[in-house]
Amino acid sequence: MIKRKRLIVGKMGLDAHDNGLRIIAKWLMEGGYEIIYAGLYNTPERIAQIAAEEDADAVGISFLGGEHLYYTDALIRKLNEMGMKQVKVVVGGVIPPDDVQDLKARGADAIFTPGTTKQEILDTIESLFD
Amino acid sequence: MDQKNFIYLDGEKIPHFHSLSGFAYKEVYRKSDWDKELPDPGQYPFTRGIHRDMYRGRLWTRRQQSGFGTPEQSNERIKYLLKIGQTGINMDTDIGTKLGLDPDHPLARADVGLQGTSLCTYEDIEALYADIPLDRVSSTLIVQPPCSAVIMSQYLLMAKERGIPWEKLIGTIMNCALTQFVGPTYESVTAFFPIDLTVKIGLDVMEYIVQRVPRWNIVNINAYNVRETGVDAVQEAAFSISLAADYIRRLMGRGLDVDRFAHRMAFFCAAHIDLFEEVAKLRAMRRIWARMLRETFGAKNERSLWFRTAIQTSALPLTAQQPLNNIVRATIQTLAAVLAGTQSIHTTGYDEAYSLPTEESHKLSIRTQQIIAYETKVVNSVDPLGGSYLVESLTDQLEEEILDLMKIIEDKGGFIQCFKDGWVEEQINQARYKMAEAIETGQQPVVGVNIFREEDEQVKINIFRHSSDMQEERVRYAQDYKKHRDTETVKRALHDLQDLVRQRPEENLFESIMKAVEARATLQEICDALRRATDFKIPS
Repeated sequence: MIKRKRLIVGKMGLDAHDNGLRIIAKWLMEGGYEIIYAGLYNTPERIAQIAAEEDADAVGISFLGGEHLYYTDALIRKLNEMGMKQVKVVVGGVIPPDDVQDLKARGADAIFTPGTTKQEILDTIESLFD
Repeated sequence: MDQKNFIYLDGEKIPHFHSLSGFAYKEVYRKSDWDKELPDPGQYPFTRGIHRDMYRGRLWTRRQQSGFGTPEQSNERIKYLLKIGQTGINMDTDIGTKLGLDPDHPLARADVGLQGTSLCTYEDIEALYADIPLDRVSSTLIVQPPCSAVIMSQYLLMAKERGIPWEKLIGTIMNCALTQFVGPTYESVTAFFPIDLTVKIGLDVMEYIVQRVPRWNIVNINAYNVRETGVDAVQEAAFSISLAADYIRRLMGRGLDVDRFAHRMAFFCAAHIDLFEEVAKLRAMRRIWARMLRETFGAKNERSLWFRTAIQTSALPLTAQQPLNNIVRATIQTLAAVLAGTQSIHTTGYDEAYSLPTEESHKLSIRTQQIIAYETKVVNSVDPLGGSYLVESLTDQLEEEILDLMKIIEDKGGFIQCFKDGWVEEQINQARYKMAEAIETGQQPVVGVNIFREEDEQVKINIFRHSSDMQEERVRYAQDYKKHRDTETVKRALHDLQDLVRQRPEENLFESIMKAVEARATLQEICDALRRATDFKIPS
C-alpha cells in the first residue's frame, strides 16, 4: 500500500481569515490526503516544527492581509535550515498577481488564488509528488 | 475550445430559483401570498423604516472603512475621503491593535498596519484625528473588547485635551466581544483573551459610555463579519439579534433601565447579492428588534425600538477573476442597502479580492453611492418595495425563520453560551462547506468563476501597496515610546488595574483602564495587565 501523503495546513501571524483554509483542508481530505490542521497564529518556527515532527510531505499556508511574502520567506528559510528542503510549500489566499511569480521565485511550489477549482487544486498538488 | 463553452447558444437557464439562503422564489406573487395591513414608515414595528421621511429628510451616511499603516498615513486618507464627499469616519485598526499587541511584539510585526491602522499609544489617536472636528463628524472605531476600552479611553482623553465636551461627541465604538474578528469563530475570539473577561469589559464600556457620552453608540453587533463566514441571511440575523439580547439582559442585570441604553445599540449588517432577500432580511430585522424590545424587554421609549444598522456590501460575492465585474456587483448590493432603508453604507471596493482599496477605488465606492443618491431617484419615496407581494411575503418568511432560530439559541442558553459550547462554530463550519460546494457544483453561479470564466485571463489591476518601511517605523516607534516616559507612573497604573481585576472582578474596569492610558501605558501593556490578572497565556 502506498503511504498517504501528509500535509500540514495552517495560518501564520495574526490574520484569522480561515474560510479558505477550512475549505481546502476538507477538499484535500476528500482527495485522499492526510491533513494535520495547525489552525491560526502560528510562527514559521512552529509550522516547520510540526512538519518535522509529523514527517510531512507538504505544508499549506493561507494568507489574506498582505503578509504572504514575509511569512512564506521565513517558512522556507526555516525548512531549509532544518534540512527539510524536500517538504513542498503550497501557498493559498489573496495574493496579488505580481506576487505570484515572486513567491515562486522564493521557492513556493504551488500558489492558489481565489476562485481556483477543487479539481485544479487536487491535480496541482498531486503533480508536486510525481 | 471546449464544447461546454457553447452551451448558452441553446437557451440560457439559471440552475434553480432558490434564494441565496435557500428560500424558493415562486413564479409569481399575488395577493393570496400577502394581504395585510402595513403601518407607515416611522410607525411600529418599523418594517418600512425607522423614520417617516427616511432619505427625504437625510441621506444615509457615506462611511467607507479606512485605516492602514501608521496613524499619520490614515489621517491623510480620512482627509481625502472627507474632501470627496464621505460624511462619516469608519476607522479600522490592524489585527495587532485588535488583539492587544503592540507593533514590537514578535508575532505582530509582520501584520502591523496591513488590515487597518496601527494604534498603541495615546499620541497615536491624536495623530490619527489631527485636524478632524470631533464634534462635527461621527466616527466609528472598529475595535472590540478589551481593546475597545483602551481606544475609547484614548478618544475621550483626546476630546478632553481639545476642550470638546463628551456630550458633543458623535460616533460608535464597535465593542462587540464575539463578532469582530472573522465573525464569531472560536479560535480567533479566545486565543488572546479569556472570553468571560472580554464579554465583561465590553459591558463595562457600554455601561460607562451610555452614562457619560450620551450621543455615542455603545456597541455595534458585527453581523457583517458573521455573514462573511458563509452563513445565510437567517443565521446572520438570528445570531446577531440573539447576541444583542444577551447584552441587553446583562446590562439590565447591572441595574440599567433598558430605555437608558437600547437606543445606543446598533448593528452592522451585510448586503449580499440576492437583492430581494437582503431587503426582506433588513425589514424583518427591524420588526423583530422593535417587538423584542417592547414585548420582551419592556422598552417604552420609541427610540429603543429603532433597529439602526450600518451596511457593508458583502465581499463574498466579489471575485478575483475579472475584477471590474465587482463594481457592478457592489452597485447592486449598494442599491439593496438603500432600498432596505439603512443608516450608513460602506460600498466594498472592486479590488477587495487583492488588497485594501486604493484611493481611486475608495473614490469609486463613494461615487457609486452618490450616483444612487443623487441620480437614480430611488431615494424619493420611503420603502419603495413596501407592499410588493414578493418582498412582503419574503419578509414574513424570513422573520419566521429568524425567530425560530432565535428560539433555538435561547433554549440553548443564549448566543454567548452557544458560542462557548462550540455550537456556533459548528454552524459556521457547516455553512462554509455548503457555500464552497454550492460554488463548486455551480448551484451558486458566479460569473467569471464557475461560469463565463476566461481561462487565460491576465488580471490587470492597480492595487494598493504599503510603504516599505511602514512596519519598521511602527516597531521603532513603539520601542522608543516605552523608553521615554515616566515608567513609575505607568507601572503604578498597571498594577492598580491588575489588582482591581484580581480583587474586585465585578467592578467596572473602564476608569481604571483610562487611568492607565492617561499614565501613557500602551495598548499591549494594559492588555497584558488584564492577562496577568487572569493568568492567561497568549500564543507564542
